[in-house]
Amino acid sequence: MNAPLPKRLWHWFTRTGVGRSIFRVGLPDSNLERSQAMVSSFLLHVQPAKVHRHALRASYSLGLGLITLYLFVILCVTGVLLMFYYVPSTDKAYDIMKDLQFVVSAGLVLRNMHRWAAHLMVLFVMLHMCRVFYTGAYKSPREFNWVLGVGLFLVTLGLSFTGYLLPWDQLAYWAITVGTSIAGYAPVVGEKLKYLMLGGHVVGQDALTRFYALHVIVLPALAVLMISVHLFRVRKDGGLSRPDEPGEVVQQIDLGQLPTNKSYGLMELARGTTPQVGMNPEDEIFSWPHLVFRELLLFLLVTAVVLFLAIFWNAPLEEIANAVHPPNPAKAPWYFLGLQELVSYSAFWGGVVVPGLLVTALALLPYTDRKRHGVGRWFARERVVANTIFSVCLAIAVVLTVIGSFFRGPNWSWVEPWKNPPAVTEGH
Amino acid sequence: MQDFSIRKFYGWFTALGLLVGVLVIVGYYRDEYRAWKDYQRRYIQEEIHRAATPQQRLLAERIPVEIRQTVLPDLHRVDRCTTCHLTVEDPSYGGYPQPLSYHPLHEQHPFERFGCTICHRGQGRATTTVEAHGNVAYWDEPMLPMQYIQASCGQCHEPADNPAAPELAQGEQVFENSGCRGCHKLGGSGGIIGPELDKVGARRSPDWLKKHFIDPASATPGSVMPPQKFPDTNLEAIVLFMLSQTGESASGYYSSMKNLPNTRLGQHLFQSRGCIGCHSVNGNGGKVGPALDDVGLRRAPEWMMQHFRDPQSVTPGSVMPRFGFTETEARALTDFLIHMREQAVALMLPSLMSPAERGREVFRKYGCAGCHGPGAKGGVPNPNSKTAEQVPGLLHVADGYTVPQLKARINTGQHEIPALDPKRPPPPLYMPGWAGTIKDAEVDDLAAYLISLKPKDENPGF
Repeated sequence: MNAPLPKRLWHWFTRTGVGRSIFRVGLPDSNLERSQAMVSSFLLHVQPAKVHRHALRASYSLGLGLITLYLFVILCVTGVLLMFYYVPSTDKAYDIMKDLQFVVSAGLVLRNMHRWAAHLMVLFVMLHMCRVFYTGAYKSPREFNWVLGVGLFLVTLGLSFTGYLLPWDQLAYWAITVGTSIAGYAPVVGEKLKYLMLGGHVVGQDALTRFYALHVIVLPALAVLMISVHLFRVRKDGGLSRPDEPGEVVQQIDLGQLPTNKSYGLMELARGTTPQVGMNPEDEIFSWPHLVFRELLLFLLVTAVVLFLAIFWNAPLEEIANAVHPPNPAKAPWYFLGLQELVSYSAFWGGVVVPGLLVTALALLPYTDRKRHGVGRWFARERVVANTIFSVCLAIAVVLTVIGSFFRGPNWSWVEPWKNPPAVTEGH
Repeated sequence: MQDFSIRKFYGWFTALGLLVGVLVIVGYYRDEYRAWKDYQRRYIQEEIHRAATPQQRLLAERIPVEIRQTVLPDLHRVDRCTTCHLTVEDPSYGGYPQPLSYHPLHEQHPFERFGCTICHRGQGRATTTVEAHGNVAYWDEPMLPMQYIQASCGQCHEPADNPAAPELAQGEQVFENSGCRGCHKLGGSGGIIGPELDKVGARRSPDWLKKHFIDPASATPGSVMPPQKFPDTNLEAIVLFMLSQTGESASGYYSSMKNLPNTRLGQHLFQSRGCIGCHSVNGNGGKVGPALDDVGLRRAPEWMMQHFRDPQSVTPGSVMPRFGFTETEARALTDFLIHMREQAVALMLPSLMSPAERGREVFRKYGCAGCHGPGAKGGVPNPNSKTAEQVPGLLHVADGYTVPQLKARINTGQHEIPALDPKRPPPPLYMPGWAGTIKDAEVDDLAAYLISLKPKDENPGF
């Protein structure tokens, strides 16, 4: 046997009593063992023993959902490490940011990783949604998983927004002031909602305490739960979406016809589209090694990118929060700048109607667009109307965000970023 | 037949694994390498070099390379300056190049109680040169240039009569005499036309302040403040005084040190403790104790100090009670009495002054000169006002106002100044109402002063 040394060591270890008790199956050599490896491992059993060829096509999924998941994992790990230092107190929070930078070993890199991974996660959630839309993947039977995805999008925004306040610098303070003001424009409940978020009328210690609790407990727990259900349903709905294939007859059991007074095994109730009852076994390939190894490689890649960003670019930190010196202009976090730009035209439309309609339309999308065609292909010709509407909305959102980010100066006036901004001084 | 070989992944795993590994190493190196460690090693080398005995050498070699800091909870500071500036307390390093230099004259402000940044400013928590010296974005307090270092004394101590900070005292004089208070509030008293100055020193740089005094509108577009024509020394002094106004408030140990003994504190104590009830100055006051006009010539300072502690110990049979003055208060009173013979100080006792003299002090104290000119002679421009585009002088108010009218005018002010040309912007300067700011008794004195300004040799009945 001329296998490399690590492999031989692994083989030896998994044949010992201890190794076998932990891993059950060693490095698999037969198809039986490849299936066993997937089924017997806690981390791997979430995925099927065999997947459809289509699911491995990088050009189809672009790995966007998985990248988002990895970013979430990185955020959890770095976040817990940051919690060892952070104190949610208006007196201490900012000083702790400085200590992380200057005296904590790897403290700055840790904070940078958390910050950049958070921005990337918001970005990749959005990209993942675009992918799912453009491939029509939200259609039956995956309607509700899309709704869960919309919910996860909102939870991600909530996580990022609550985390934004924690450094307690000018950037944090005024972004949260602006962001919560946008919420305050909602009719009837707006002011109450803002008061509930901040624990008062202005951003202060109570707001910091609330945002901290939301950021480290409530929203992460919610995210973990929803991500679990999201992944569970991906599996139960037959893996990644793919085009219907000729000959793949869905053998749907009509549960209503079955006698109800006997118990059924899992296989009897399994839905027709699950891979194990797929009609074309030659399209199925073993998850080990083809899926698992690709996933591991992607994790390495995501880690490398986040590390690279964190080592060479520092997370922003401005002066300590100062309630009497607002920066001009005070800007919300980038993903809300499109809304802030809209708010500058009309608080009611930008702050309430447009975001409300957008979220509602996104959540109801799979129930309004019910025709089952064009699933599993990018920019399917049959879906040209839906794709056009979505693209126009997306383009508007991007343009508004770019304007809000780069073309708005003091008093939200129009500036051209390639020209030097006029010196801002406080008037008497 | 499917390809089950995992060999094709080897290349990818190797490449990405190496990439992550290299990044971790780069990140570790950047995190681990800090310039302050070099400075500390240089210091240790120097100590080893100096060691005369093996024991000393062993001690020097055992000096740890580590962050050093002074934690100052009452000052809301952690100063890590001594991480690089290791030898600030070691006189044998006098004349060494920075960062290994000695800091002279720190006996009265020991580092373990005061740290560094309370006087020098900068960013105490930082451990890199650029960040610590504070000339970076998003840090409001860069290190104070040494020429303005006296400004830091003024954060805690009264500027006047602080012998260690003459330029600060000069700056305060310039501030009070130039009428800045007419428009600006400082320490709770002053006008409302301009912004409050209580924390101006923490927000503004020396260069900005200078520019602002020379041409206010260039530093703050739209400012109505008239340009100030200070001579250079006065300009530097008032910039320094402005820099001292940081709003820094220290509690506990630090507040008890706030008052340096000085004649102003002495004068305050002299009035408030009722000394004048028994002693006289300029013939005014009680006759129970001796007159104090020339006490500074008759008695040594040490005698006076002992006298304040326990009058009977130096003057047996004296009926003067023991007032329980603190050492600081006793020194301040002594200081005051030594200078008593100087007429100017004696005249500053309000109870010994005439109403018009007190009124002149009120005129000075509230900065009336800022608009009405030094000595109320006018001449400050107020573009587009009907009164010759100037703020009117007040030398002739006695002709147009009775005393009650004048007092009413001071109290209510005049917010709408008649414009010369209605098409041009209205005159920027106006008369604020001073009721509630200037006390009633002071308004009486001020009115008396203004009435007294009328030139004596003019023919009133023309």
